Amino acid sequence: MEDFVKEIKTKPDVVKNTNGPWRSRVTWQGGLRAKAYMRNHAVTFDEPEGLGATDTSASAHEHLLSAVGACMMTGFVYQGTLKGIKIHNCEIALEGTFGDIRNWAGLTDEGTPGYPEIKAKLYVKADSDRKTIERLWANAWKHSVVTQTVARGAKIIPSLEVL
Amino acid sequence: MLRHDSARLNIRSRREPFVAKSQLFPVTVVGSWPRPQWLIQALRKRQADEISFDEFNTTADDAVLAAIKYQEDANVDIITDGEQRRDNFYSFVVEKLEGVKLMTLTDLMDYMKDRASFEETLRALDVPAFAMRSPVAVDRVRRKRHLALDEFKFLKSHTTRKTKVPIPGPYMLTRSMWFPGLSDKAYPVIEDLGRDVCSIIREEIVALKEAGCDFVQLDEPVLSQVVYGSEGEETFMCAALASRRDPTEELRYAVELMNLTVKGISGVKLGIHVCRGNWSRREDVLLKGNYGPLLPYLMEMKIDQLVLEFATPRAGELEVFKEYREEKEIGLGIVNPRSTTIEQPKSIERRVKEATRYFDPSQVYLNPDCGFGTFAERPVNDAETAYAKLRSMGTAASNLRKAWEDGGEPPS
Repeated sequence: MEDFVKEIKTKPDVVKNTNGPWRSRVTWQGGLRAKAYMRNHAVTFDEPEGLGATDTSASAHEHLLSAVGACMMTGFVYQGTLKGIKIHNCEIALEGTFGDIRNWAGLTDEGTPGYPEIKAKLYVKADSDRKTIERLWANAWKHSVVTQTVARGAKIIPSLEVL
Repeated sequence: MLRHDSARLNIRSRREPFVAKSQLFPVTVVGSWPRPQWLIQALRKRQADEISFDEFNTTADDAVLAAIKYQEDANVDIITDGEQRRDNFYSFVVEKLEGVKLMTLTDLMDYMKDRASFEETLRALDVPAFAMRSPVAVDRVRRKRHLALDEFKFLKSHTTRKTKVPIPGPYMLTRSMWFPGLSDKAYPVIEDLGRDVCSIIREEIVALKEAGCDFVQLDEPVLSQVVYGSEGEETFMCAALASRRDPTEELRYAVELMNLTVKGISGVKLGIHVCRGNWSRREDVLLKGNYGPLLPYLMEMKIDQLVLEFATPRAGELEVFKEYREEKEIGLGIVNPRSTTIEQPKSIERRVKEATRYFDPSQVYLNPDCGFGTFAERPVNDAETAYAKLRSMGTAASNLRKAWEDGGEPPS
């Protein structure tokens, strides 16, 4: 980790390469199922049976919650390790509630179909005092790529090609 | 449910013929005492295999001595070692048994049938999965060391008081250790594991008795989960409980295991402890409901004493014993181990008086509802508060004995 920090401090090329672009390709798997390919990895998506889907995987919005949590966890562990704090274990419990599912279904333009807020609670066991851990946690979400993308509302640039 | 009459036929009658009034209402504890921070640090190192079993025990000796001192100073008549050497009341067996692996609930998530229900439980309890650990049978289970004999010998050599050793009950240990997907290679069905567990616990009780232990308490808190927990819900105590059968079958199985374990053992007091959870100070997340549905089964168990919680309204009323008067001793939960309020001796005395409507005074023991530090990392109280609560119990017991000596009448 220290080597990486040293590199992004001193080497503009490393910064440029790490900044991206990052990519994902989402393919349709039939029904409401999808599969996303990212570098050499793949993740599947589905919807609960109540929506007429097959519930074979988590929903996209659940992946979003998980991505927020995973990104904050990465930052927390990274910052903690750099400060020499031994983290024995940590876990983040996230929760969000839709603004209005009718908006997603196209029944209204009122409100938002998304999560107006996301709760994230960190459980941690580490060899450090509470104040230090609170600072680490605050930094974890302030500097989290995914959290800040969500919190600042990234500009989405859609385009289309009909075949 | 069992019919009460059939339960009554199987009662193990071991009442003392006579108990001097000066010895009535013995004060005891359920087991655990809050661990000092330095002991928790040592425990973490032991769990990470950074120090040996013996190195950890040397550190824990000092913590046990402190726990003994607190209990003796508080006039506790029957003391424990505060379970200072244990991570919690049942997972510690991984150090003592071969074929058992300590797994966090995070590790077990991949093997759970209904992870969504489990997530609901974690949220309701407000706990992380990594903090909950369960011993899981991953091979044939054999004894590597005695479960608690080493703990007892150290305790016995440092006190002149009577002693109690809590050990996991056979049902809880069997249920928590048999996990589908992990245990079925060594034990295709849970009953196969149950027989080995009973044998190990039985050997331990005999060893403790022969070494001079006065009271062995078998912890079976998960029985209340069987009766009051939601169907299909994994719990903090027993991740494998989701695979349980219907409650009646489970309770019958618990009776069978207990009686197989203690069959023919005499010369040591045997108790069973059943509470409704002791992992949170939030009363609203703990189980509630009276002991009525459990009593027919508990009465069938060949044990002397029921160590139960009665300090909060969640446990229901003592009236449930009206059909079972004087059939067993009661370890009466008389203080709440999770609250900061110190129960006053007078209120304890009133509750004991109420218990004597259903039990002979010689059958009533006083104890907290549960331990003060059931889980090493999540104690429900600090040592000073726990000490004050024990002191209050000691004072109440002393007042009660005096009242009985003076006139044989319970205090008003």
